[in-house]
Amino acid sequence: MAEKKVRFIIERQDGPNEKPYNQEFDVDYRPGLNVVAALMEIQKNPVTVDGKKVAPVTWECNCLEKVCGACMMVINGVARQACCALVDEIQQPIHLQPARTFPVIRDLLIDRSVMFESLKKIMGWIELDGSWEVKDAPIQNPYTAQTAYEISHCMTCGCCPQSDFIGPAPTVQAYLFNLHPLGKFDAPKRLNALMEKGGITSCGNSQNCVEVCPKSIKLTTYLAQLNRDVNKQALRNIFNK
Amino acid sequence: MFHTTFYLRRLHSLCGLLVLGIVLFEHIFTNSMAIFGPAALNGALEMMELIPKPIFLGLEVCGIAIPLLFHGIYGIYIALQANNNPQRFKYIRNWNFTLQRWTAWFLVVFLVWHVGYLRLYVKGVTGTPISFELLQNFFQNPVVVFLYVIGMWAAIFHFCNGITTFCMTWGITKGPRSQNVIGIISMGLCAALCLVTLVFMASYFMY
Repeated sequence: MAEKKVRFIIERQDGPNEKPYNQEFDVDYRPGLNVVAALMEIQKNPVTVDGKKVAPVTWECNCLEKVCGACMMVINGVARQACCALVDEIQQPIHLQPARTFPVIRDLLIDRSVMFESLKKIMGWIELDGSWEVKDAPIQNPYTAQTAYEISHCMTCGCCPQSDFIGPAPTVQAYLFNLHPLGKFDAPKRLNALMEKGGITSCGNSQNCVEVCPKSIKLTTYLAQLNRDVNKQALRNIFNK
Repeated sequence: MFHTTFYLRRLHSLCGLLVLGIVLFEHIFTNSMAIFGPAALNGALEMMELIPKPIFLGLEVCGIAIPLLFHGIYGIYIALQANNNPQRFKYIRNWNFTLQRWTAWFLVVFLVWHVGYLRLYVKGVTGTPISFELLQNFFQNPVVVFLYVIGMWAAIFHFCNGITTFCMTWGITKGPRSQNVIGIISMGLCAALCLVTLVFMASYFMY
């Protein structure tokens, strides 16, 4: 009996400035097969459908349980995690492309450092050290803890489209740290950072971010809250001087 | 540190909704008078002529020309940055995002023609007052009628979708429910105003 095959059409690129090209691979079907597992099969035996042996496809993955965000790629036109993209649930042939909202390093491997730079811009951390005694952690506000927990699920995967806009993910992280009992001291700094060019004002309200977020974070709700906070901060900047 | 982009974007939002929104409503209101016949429209136009010329010109420059130029020129800069992808993300808000920019591009061209011809050339250069008869004559060409209806619809959609995004931008509607409710209300308003436009445009062929 002929084995069932799954056809993959992969957009490859040999280097950051090389031209992209497509290659097709067949992978043996097995129940529960996901895109990462299929890419591992291709890595073991990188032979195209024409029988040509090629360099194995490069991609990134880590946790394999939709927690780390590393395996984000464009699958059938939609940015998502490859580890939880089950072959049974998506249309075949399966088209894989790198997420071109980021610079492509090679094949499906992208450079996400812009998101890290954005997190630095919005002060995505809590200042713990200072001229004070470091004690036990303060308690979280029980009324906002659930929201904070939800936003903390963000794995900076980059599914929410990043452009010259700082991006929904890092922007909403500013709200997470503003909610923190110690982080809130730096809230004006974060809000001022969001006012800069490419900050929250570059959001076009297309709301694609909330639709594609694999962690179902209510990004648009927190963006609207941040809009409110940023506007108040702007008024303080003008009238408190 | 002065956040120029932030204040320009917020000014763009305020100017579009409040100032140009009033201009749009004034246009719809005055033009609806055509429904009641030539006398009603000409009466409404003459009423506006009662405002002293310097004040009227001041209102036109400060209330229409400057806000429109700012909103239009800065809007072009914003629209150029957009990545319209409704084919890929077929969500309503994403379609509205794209339509907001498509209507903007159409309006840039349409308003250059509309303001340039009717206000600057006909009223300004030739000194002919705008009247029901003049517009009726102008609308004898079906292409002009078609472009004017599309122009009005584009402006109405751009304004109504602007209400929804204004509420998000200013943090008025935060959660998905309130954003949806405002979205539905503004699209209802859009449909109603589009219908009104059709009726007053049709009245030029009734009388």
